[in-house]
Amino acid sequence: MEINELKQIVEALLIATPEPLTETRFKACMGRAEPVLPLDEIIEELQAEYSASDRAFFIKEVAGGYQLVTKAEYEIFVKGLFSKSGKLRLSQAALETLAIVSYRQPVTRNDIEAIRGVSSDSSLRTLLDRKLLEIRGRDDGPGRALLYRTSIEFLQYFGLNSVKDLPKLREVEDILSEDQGELV
Amino acid sequence: MMIKPHRIDLEMFEGPLDLLLFLIKRDELNIYDIPVAQITKDFLEYVNLAKELKLHSAGDFVLMAATLMKIKARMLLPIEADGDEEIEDPRTELMNMLLEYKRYKEAAGAFSNLERVERPHYYHIPGAWDPQQEDKTAILEDIKLYDIMLTFRYLLKNYEEPVTHSVAIEEVTMSEQVGFLNGLLQAKTSLKFSSLLEQFESRLIVVVTFLAILEMLRGRQIKVKQTKLFDDLLLSRGAEFGN
Repeated sequence: MEINELKQIVEALLIATPEPLTETRFKACMGRAEPVLPLDEIIEELQAEYSASDRAFFIKEVAGGYQLVTKAEYEIFVKGLFSKSGKLRLSQAALETLAIVSYRQPVTRNDIEAIRGVSSDSSLRTLLDRKLLEIRGRDDGPGRALLYRTSIEFLQYFGLNSVKDLPKLREVEDILSEDQGELV
Repeated sequence: MMIKPHRIDLEMFEGPLDLLLFLIKRDELNIYDIPVAQITKDFLEYVNLAKELKLHSAGDFVLMAATLMKIKARMLLPIEADGDEEIEDPRTELMNMLLEYKRYKEAAGAFSNLERVERPHYYHIPGAWDPQQEDKTAILEDIKLYDIMLTFRYLLKNYEEPVTHSVAIEEVTMSEQVGFLNGLLQAKTSLKFSSLLEQFESRLIVVVTFLAILEMLRGRQIKVKQTKLFDDLLLSRGAEFGN
């Protein structure tokens, strides 16, 4: 199979895929046709092509796969396609809850509230409704509380490739010494 | 100079820990050596405002106020030097909570930055255009527990209890309903949750049956399918059916 044809196939898959296109899914779509290049190399070629011809989109590596995303400068136009609530920014409470879940998953609501020192019911509900979190089973402890973890949509939302790419949870000494620096 | 707390200020805080961190930073206090008397006084001023505002988190603030006062009281007790035994500082637990919360609060800031960077980029939204949805018989195999709960809440809202006037103690147990569902699924390969609703005489039975479904789902005795959110739940036999 020619490289050009392969590039076009991948382009078609990127347009149609409902979630980031992974190497595994790519191979499954190819069926018996043996691709001469691995997905990441084809992506690289396409990416170079897009940037050379100055397209309004590019390929983003996210959640272990690839997807087409629009460039930031078109935001003001593109956002007209969606309802306002779809792209509302998360509240501080929701962000804190999300941070706790992402570093300590799977966690129960109690674990979250013990750290935040405040009821986190409504932020959990918001995050579940927006599909950034999902319920994955129950705790073995008394009460068998629900366990929460982050979803693929969470990775997409924050542009992360995997949970390993989370911003580093800093040691408190570092944060405190920075606070001191601010005061001086 | 002391800055007096302001009405609006309170809504800035995510909870009592957030407020304490603010007070520590504002007054340049040492988090490892918190002057409990001073911070309790400042904290209480804010709590009184919280009560006034009837914030939904007021309870959390009151609880923290009580904790602070307890620590303050214990600090006043004379320390009995009892040999070499190390006496724990009554502030330790609170200090650890504050330090831990501070880390996640900071991480929340990092997520907020990521959000700001990613927000302008739009991508294909799963399900926004799904050719399979055109096909009414298509079935989502991968329903999440949360979706099932949402659906149940939705169905229950539309469920009207038939008006009856007899007074009797209803006795229904989960294991009875597990048996009942088992029986139905032995006779039929699948059944709709809504068709079950029609034959029940009370909300209690509906709820107990739903719990039975969750229990059977957990034991993989049954499978639950749904074509879309809030749609009817379709029950069928699972891998462990009958065990």
